[in-house]
Amino acid sequence: MDSKFFKLLLLGGAVRFYFCRTPLAPMIGNRVEFATPLNSHKRMQEGIFLLQSGIDPYLGDLVHESPLILSALSGLFQKYPQFLPIFYIILDICTAALLYAMSLRFVKQKQDQQDKERKEYAKDTEELQFGPLDKLDIPELVIVAYLFSPLTVMSCIGMTSTVISNLFLAFFFYCLVKGMLIPCLLVLAFETVRSFYPIVLIAPLLLVFSRNSVRRGVAIAALFIVSCLIVAVANYFVLNSWNFLDGTLGFIFYFRDLQPNIGLFWYFFTEMFEHFRTMFLITFQLNATVLYLVPLSIKLRKEPLLLATVLVALMAVFRAYPSLGDVGFYLALLPLWKRCWKFMAHGFVVFTFFLVTLSMMGALWHLWIYAGSANANFYFGATLAFSTGQIFLITDLLFAHVKREFCLFNGQKILIDGEEARIVLK
Amino acid sequence: MGLLSDPSISTQSKLVDGLARHVRKVCYALYVAGVAWFFCLALPEFNHGTYLSENALSPGLVYPEIRIDANRLAIQLLEELQRERKDHLSTTPHAWIAAKMNEFGLETHTHNYTLRYPFGGGKEYHGKNIYGILRAPRIASTEGIVFAAPYRAASSVHTDISASVPLLLAFADFARRKNYWAKDLIFLITEQEQLGMQAWLEAYHDGDRELDLSKAYLRPGNLPARAGSLQAALNIEVQDLEIDHVDVRIEGLNGKLPNLDMFNLVQRIMAREGIASGYKQAPRKKRRHSQSHFEQNFRQMLTMLASQSSGVPTGNHGLFHRYRIDALTIAANRRATHATLKGSPGSAAVPLLKAIEGIARSLNNLLERFHQSFFFYVIVSNDRYISIGDYMPALVALVACAFLKAYLTWSTLPATNAELEKAAGWLREHEQEAELEENLEPDKFELPYGSVLIYLTATLLIGFLCNVLPLQQYFLEIPMGAAPLTTSVLSFLSLIGFVLPFVVVLPPGGLELLHVAFLLIYGCALIVIGLLNFALGLFAAVLTVPLVIALETKEENSRSTLRNTIRLATLVMNPMMVVYVIVLAMTFYQFPELPVQKIMLRAATAAMDASAYGLIDSVIYGNWLYFVICTIFLPLWIICWTLSLSKRRDYADYLDFDESPSTSPQPQSKVKTN
Repeated sequence: MDSKFFKLLLLGGAVRFYFCRTPLAPMIGNRVEFATPLNSHKRMQEGIFLLQSGIDPYLGDLVHESPLILSALSGLFQKYPQFLPIFYIILDICTAALLYAMSLRFVKQKQDQQDKERKEYAKDTEELQFGPLDKLDIPELVIVAYLFSPLTVMSCIGMTSTVISNLFLAFFFYCLVKGMLIPCLLVLAFETVRSFYPIVLIAPLLLVFSRNSVRRGVAIAALFIVSCLIVAVANYFVLNSWNFLDGTLGFIFYFRDLQPNIGLFWYFFTEMFEHFRTMFLITFQLNATVLYLVPLSIKLRKEPLLLATVLVALMAVFRAYPSLGDVGFYLALLPLWKRCWKFMAHGFVVFTFFLVTLSMMGALWHLWIYAGSANANFYFGATLAFSTGQIFLITDLLFAHVKREFCLFNGQKILIDGEEARIVLK
Repeated sequence: MGLLSDPSISTQSKLVDGLARHVRKVCYALYVAGVAWFFCLALPEFNHGTYLSENALSPGLVYPEIRIDANRLAIQLLEELQRERKDHLSTTPHAWIAAKMNEFGLETHTHNYTLRYPFGGGKEYHGKNIYGILRAPRIASTEGIVFAAPYRAASSVHTDISASVPLLLAFADFARRKNYWAKDLIFLITEQEQLGMQAWLEAYHDGDRELDLSKAYLRPGNLPARAGSLQAALNIEVQDLEIDHVDVRIEGLNGKLPNLDMFNLVQRIMAREGIASGYKQAPRKKRRHSQSHFEQNFRQMLTMLASQSSGVPTGNHGLFHRYRIDALTIAANRRATHATLKGSPGSAAVPLLKAIEGIARSLNNLLERFHQSFFFYVIVSNDRYISIGDYMPALVALVACAFLKAYLTWSTLPATNAELEKAAGWLREHEQEAELEENLEPDKFELPYGSVLIYLTATLLIGFLCNVLPLQQYFLEIPMGAAPLTTSVLSFLSLIGFVLPFVVVLPPGGLELLHVAFLLIYGCALIVIGLLNFALGLFAAVLTVPLVIALETKEENSRSTLRNTIRLATLVMNPMMVVYVIVLAMTFYQFPELPVQKIMLRAATAAMDASAYGLIDSVIYGNWLYFVICTIFLPLWIICWTLSLSKRRDYADYLDFDESPSTSPQPQSKVKTN
């Protein structure tokens, strides 16, 4: 917690503050890339208004925010609407600070672990190990990547509720690294009831806290279910009705709103015959949740934080209503794996992919919606390429991790019959 | 699977290294492939015959009912109008037009608008459009079709097209008697060329919007009556009732085109009525038959792309495209000689009236907006087109050069200090030190991301200022014409860009990083411009990609002549220079008899005017050309210029390099700022 950290936080806040006063802010708040039916600021306003007027917000098809958030923010929205941008900026800065604290702790844990295993490491692997400088570098990179990534900045000035989700996720990561079970469980339960997909993060949580004992694992899982129920009941008492379950979780699971976004659902469900809908809904939701959960959990059982990072990233790609704010969050976690970067071969390609597809999205959206000359296929092409880029990144990270683990114990230069060795996955 | 999970442990790939050594060759091959593909598009194997995709149009299904009495009415109206024109030399005979519309039973309204011209102290112009609505008997005014005719006053410098008003009125009179209209018909007479049309469209669509009066240059006012959502529009420019051929104009604002179905519809119906019609149709005697098929097609393509690339509409129809209304202009040209008349003069306009009726009835059949056929196409001849899927590969191949070079430059970026020095060509001097350093472990070298980012932001800021500065209040109050003002601001800012690399020198490794960033931004910009306006993107790419491929920041293996050629080429590629050269070529083409100095001078004033028009077009009509040139091409040029200079922080070692660039560009910059 040095002065540089505070300077960065201030600078990040200043950047957000500057942009939220430009005409860019209302424009971003209406862009489908940032504001989805789930997180849009307008819908939040509508929900709070309905709640204040004593009407159940979930009877209509507009509001999908959880009742607790709505009632918690209603005072702010009604009385001090002019301070809302500041509020969102403060939330975002809190997220950055949590991520910083989390990465400090994480690097320290890694270094401790390294000290224990050092004897087993191969000789020429100093650059793969966490060095003394990393304690400063990695947290700083994380916070810079969060505060100054255009994706999170835009998401914040558009006042999407992704800012709130990111804060909860950052808190989850922080508790996970610090080893605080109860807050971790509670925040995860809250996020799960709010936006469903974070349920997969139970896997890294179990890996961290069960410490290889099945009984503890079962107990924690039971505790998680109980806390989910508690959150749901707390939500129930806001409105005295269970409508919110269908309005939030049901809305996500059944994918009722076909508004275009950067994800893969909307185009597919627009094109599909209605009687296949149930089957594909289940397939797509399985893909977004449990399909990768089990194999990744087995493979990464020793690296729960990497598992959590990858799961958050996969969530951002495959969820029903993804927004660029989600992408910005997991991109900020990548510096934690700085020691794997040496093996990440596609970093530049992915960056180019992101740059080209994001700039094309703007142009194609204009051509489709305003000029009326292009059509949905053009825009979907761009979002598909964007998702492909993200998959490249995630795969690359996983593979780099595997390579690093291997090289750490076996050395970097392995020659078999005078030729460079190749790793074969079996 | 190898793509995602490369099994080798080291990240250095042999393929990349091999390619990196031949970047230029590979890129030039791609460039040639792209250009060759573009040439091939003119071959009949690469384009397709047009067809009508929207069944609802069913052109020519009904028998035309308009008769010779409509023609007689048109002739009579034309005579009346000619008398009116004698009294209204520089204004529109609003009263006469409104009276005629009322007489034919149209719901007639006038629309007033004001233009607050910002330059030269500020002036106000007032204008008035007249429109009459024929309410559809079969629907509750939810959809409409516009038939528009621009009116030019007798004192106008443009060709006289006053015959379009009588023709339009004659058709209105005919249409009012029919009961089959399912869409409201709006008959609109605008004045002051595109300005009147723009004002009318703005008033139609956002007439009740509150305007920010300090920024609104065109105050469109509001309309007293509307006719639902406009589905299509037909703009008519007729020089005389006795016509020779019809030129169908389609290019709209920012290179947008109407749906290909609409063009095909007009072509079909014109053919049925026996009118020679087509895209860029020339008079009969000028049509050349000596050219080969390929050459004709290729010329047609080039002329179409050239007129699209400026983004300026070729007629009033182009402004409709902005509001998602498909529209085109049928420009009927006067018959040159009266001796070859076939029919009686009393029925000369009947085919054209029949054609308008046919088009109107087909449009009347539309069940939804045009959506079936292509919006992105290039017309190679009147019945053949190239679709987006066929022409895009040409642009993609050109842009791929930038991305490929960016990737290869990135993968060979210096990773350690030693490599960096080698790249900068310092190794010879520092050989001993380098040997000393070899014993130590190679120290990791951090690329100067921060300073490169700041440099990029600075260049973008210059581009942004080009947009904002000429419209600032304190500049506008200077009693100076629009052209000198815009030009002086632009040349001042590009002079700053020109000086920037001499003043700011990037830290070691910065140039290489800037190069990569430049290539990425350049590629993205071209792709986006190409999507929005293919013609502009393609021409920009064809012009600049060779230079971008040739750019090199490494010192070691480059001859100084090559470097200086690249520097010179970069200077010529300055957006302002390019505009000047284009204007010069056009002036030379128009006035070949003038002496060279006079042509250059005339081109200079014309280029200044062009930049001012670009600015005015962008603020009044929403043309993007000025924005694109200032905000994208100028910053890119500044970066390109920085890279071609390749100034390094420690340049005391090669002062001889330092001399050459500062002497050679001087005369060039003078030309630029004149």
